[in-house]
Amino acid sequence: MGSRVEILNEGGYRSDGRRQFELRDITINLAQQGQADGSAIITHGLTQVLVSVFGPREGKLRSQAIHDRANINVEVNVAAFSTGERRRRGRGDKRILEIGATIKSTFEPVVQTALYPRTQIDVYVTVLQQDGGLLQACINGTTLALINAGIPMLDFVCAVTGGVHSTSPMLDLTTLEENDVPHVTVAMMPKTGKVALVTMETRLHVDRFEEIFRLAGEAGKVLHREMKGAVMGRTSTLVNAMGSQQSVDKDGDEQMME
Amino acid sequence: MISVSHAHRIPHQIQNKKDLACSTMSTISLSKAEKSYITAGLKQSVPQRTDGRNLTDYRSIALETGVAPVANGSARLCIGRNLNDNGGGTEIIAATKLEVETISIDESSEGREGGRFVVNVSCSPAAYPHLTQIALEDLQHDLTTILHTTITHPTLHPKNLIILPRKKSWLLHLDLLILADAGNTLDALFLAARAALWDTKVPRTRSVEYKAPKSNVKDETGFAGANTTVEGGDMDVDETAPSGFDTRSQARRATDFELPDYWDEGENLDGRDRWPVGVTLNLTPPVHFLDATLQEEAAVPLRFLLVFSFSSPSNTPTLQGIRTLGGGEVSLSQIKDLTEAGQNYANELYTALNAKLKDEDIRRTQIAQERFAATRR
Repeated sequence: MGSRVEILNEGGYRSDGRRQFELRDITINLAQQGQADGSAIITHGLTQVLVSVFGPREGKLRSQAIHDRANINVEVNVAAFSTGERRRRGRGDKRILEIGATIKSTFEPVVQTALYPRTQIDVYVTVLQQDGGLLQACINGTTLALINAGIPMLDFVCAVTGGVHSTSPMLDLTTLEENDVPHVTVAMMPKTGKVALVTMETRLHVDRFEEIFRLAGEAGKVLHREMKGAVMGRTSTLVNAMGSQQSVDKDGDEQMME
Repeated sequence: MISVSHAHRIPHQIQNKKDLACSTMSTISLSKAEKSYITAGLKQSVPQRTDGRNLTDYRSIALETGVAPVANGSARLCIGRNLNDNGGGTEIIAATKLEVETISIDESSEGREGGRFVVNVSCSPAAYPHLTQIALEDLQHDLTTILHTTITHPTLHPKNLIILPRKKSWLLHLDLLILADAGNTLDALFLAARAALWDTKVPRTRSVEYKAPKSNVKDETGFAGANTTVEGGDMDVDETAPSGFDTRSQARRATDFELPDYWDEGENLDGRDRWPVGVTLNLTPPVHFLDATLQEEAAVPLRFLLVFSFSSPSNTPTLQGIRTLGGGEVSLSQIKDLTEAGQNYANELYTALNAKLKDEDIRRTQIAQERFAATRR
């Protein structure tokens, strides 16, 4: 299959018609989902992830509580119909556990857990559709859901996948490209420029690494702009909704003053 | 004051007895005071519900089909979603997927003549944030059993899951994912299941036959129509008595199939009209009510699930399943009345759902046509 597909053609276009450094369409939905304290649905192209955050709250198991900070509990669920071939992944699946552990370790230094000792922050990730860049979607979705839940964080965490096809680097790979191309997922914090996560499961030539790493950092800043815009939009709708209430209150207050 | 102390105790009881939480499927804990408030309202001469609905009113139901691009059929269903902020409500995604299975005589593979059909319900932990993993798995299992036994009943089995008779068949998976629970999940699950199955397209197949070489024809590949037996083609016409050593006759039957290129995704899954709808009657003895919220579910002692399927031309109902949920009891004579009432509710629900599904079909074919026109421009 792989050999028949041209990853990057001579005109500089990829299999889905994108340029080398072009990111896929990103849509962010920060509307309330169920009973969650904060939630986000993020779509990168055909990859769609729903993240719900609960907490900080009392943990289900007292043994998991940490005396000086909050415990971040990440659970990942993959819908059986999310991939082309139906495969039910249970909770114990190694791949699922690994994604969960990666998300947890990425966010532990970013979330200000020390503010909530002996509590638990539950992050439930549901993968609805998969087409490459699963980890990046999970991390971006978690950032947005945590922000939406009002949990204090040091910075955004913006993740993007980068790959190298022969000598030309590419960003935001689809499943098709991920299967053929060595790729690395980088999560960065745009304000400080620090990197929260670098992970790679394939082999990549060391000379190419710097270039792709730098590119992923720049792409992270682009994602940050999108994510920030979505958060601002959501907040302003909430503020406007409160505003209509407040104006009534204010009138009342003024009357009291008089 | 006594009720307050109960309110503190109840969560612990439910946590300890996970089976209790599951068998009644009331997934929240409610104090005695809250329960009596809800039941007292229902028992008034003019019954009152906390959200102002009538006893037989459903919350608003939103349905969209074709939500999962890689599935053969899919639907997203919300009951009681708040229109202002898009939040709240019960939300379910259902999707069907078809897999090819090999049928073997010695049962070494799972494939069965006529195809298999498996239903699976999974609950997102976000829908039940206070349940432990074990309790969540029990709940999933419980719901899966109810749906699987009703929907995969032989009387409802679709007829077009056969690819090659006695060789290959489709395995139909129906996966339902509960994203949020705000009460009445069972009705929602049956509605979503019906919508996803309605939306399911079975890919067209063409059986491929290898014919034995005959006189001047060396090798020939013949096609037969989709899902039809291919034995008795022109091969059998002028055949002499077969030799016992001639093993070629075994190869004459259709051995494989291919997917022809065609403009649509396939034919509709058989039994589109038959897929059942479920109605849960919540019983507070003199009265019963529909579409309970989580709080109401926790307050009623007994819930009564009825599953009806309707045959298409005359809408004659068939009762496909009955189940009581919860610890209360009901007398036989009551069941008769309740079943009759349930049939009417189910009929209304069925009619409304069909109208919506037909709307969705039109909406999606229009979109498809517009897209196609755009590419042609």
